[in-house]
Amino acid sequence: MDDYSRFYSRYRGSVFAYLLRLTGDYQLAGDLTQESFTRCLSRYGRNGSNPSLLFTIARNAALDAARKRREEALSGNEKEADDANPERQLIQKQAVTRMLAAIGQLRLVDRELIALVASGSLSYREIGKLLKISEANVKVKVHRARLRLKAILNQGGQ
Amino acid sequence: MEMDHDYLASVYIDDEMDLDEKRHFVEKVHTNAGFYAETLELLDQEKLLREMPELPAIAPVTVWQPSLRERLAGLLRPLGFATAGFAAAILVLFTLFQPPAPALCHNRFVLYQPTAARVELTGSFIDWQRVALKPIGSSGYWEVHLRVPAGEHRFAYILDGKRRVADPTIPTSEKDDFGGENSILQVTDLI
Repeated sequence: MDDYSRFYSRYRGSVFAYLLRLTGDYQLAGDLTQESFTRCLSRYGRNGSNPSLLFTIARNAALDAARKRREEALSGNEKEADDANPERQLIQKQAVTRMLAAIGQLRLVDRELIALVASGSLSYREIGKLLKISEANVKVKVHRARLRLKAILNQGGQ
Repeated sequence: MEMDHDYLASVYIDDEMDLDEKRHFVEKVHTNAGFYAETLELLDQEKLLREMPELPAIAPVTVWQPSLRERLAGLLRPLGFATAGFAAAILVLFTLFQPPAPALCHNRFVLYQPTAARVELTGSFIDWQRVALKPIGSSGYWEVHLRVPAGEHRFAYILDGKRRVADPTIPTSEKDDFGGENSILQVTDLI
């Protein structure tokens, strides 16, 4: 196993988890995970094994996908792939589904922070660099995002 | 020194505390019941949040295979219940006396190549013939479904008829004799 293989095995799961929370779409998150590693490999070669770089690429891929979806929706091409997607049914655990729905109700900036910290791969400092905000700001914002998520979950549970 | 403690629970959850914050945290848990309850709630929320489903079978290393029971059920269904037992017995005898052929497993090969006009796959399991991948809409993804025998195989993608690339999602690869690179695919029969 070379360094890149180790890098791939180590971060594959957490990048997927990050993308799943960010997009709320199981299939899309899987595709974007592959795309992120592909982009990372083709741009930086097998030596570009840097998690911050990888998460930045994953984030851009997710934002690109979201933009594309909006454009498709605007051009009247609103195909809801969700129902036809059998892999989505694999998410059987209701709690996880409920959590994803709650994350989906957060503003993008909050959703991103929640997804990044929960991936467990980046420090506040690295997250700050990625989102171009100060580390102190990450502290405060992560906590507020958590409280908002809690409020949404509590609302849904009543 | 009074500090803004608003985020203490989160810094605690994310292992980002300095010593001052640790001290304030312990104090606050001790003296403030509301803070104590909220921190517990946030910890539970975080546990749930981090409980995520496994990565889907996007990489070709994962292979879907119907279970033996499903396959037997599929075979037996048309025969009806009366003959089912007999058929099962025959099937068991049949499988006992046949040399086991490697099982064919469904495999989805996916590649992200937005700039290619044509993507093909070639590999040891198809005698190095080329099979075309189909574009998935305008997403930049290409895919093909193939049945591959269980075992170890070598394969690669061919972009626009000439450039040969290994699968970036498969960690194991090796150089071939022609300067290209092949991915090593392990197909396991999951029964």
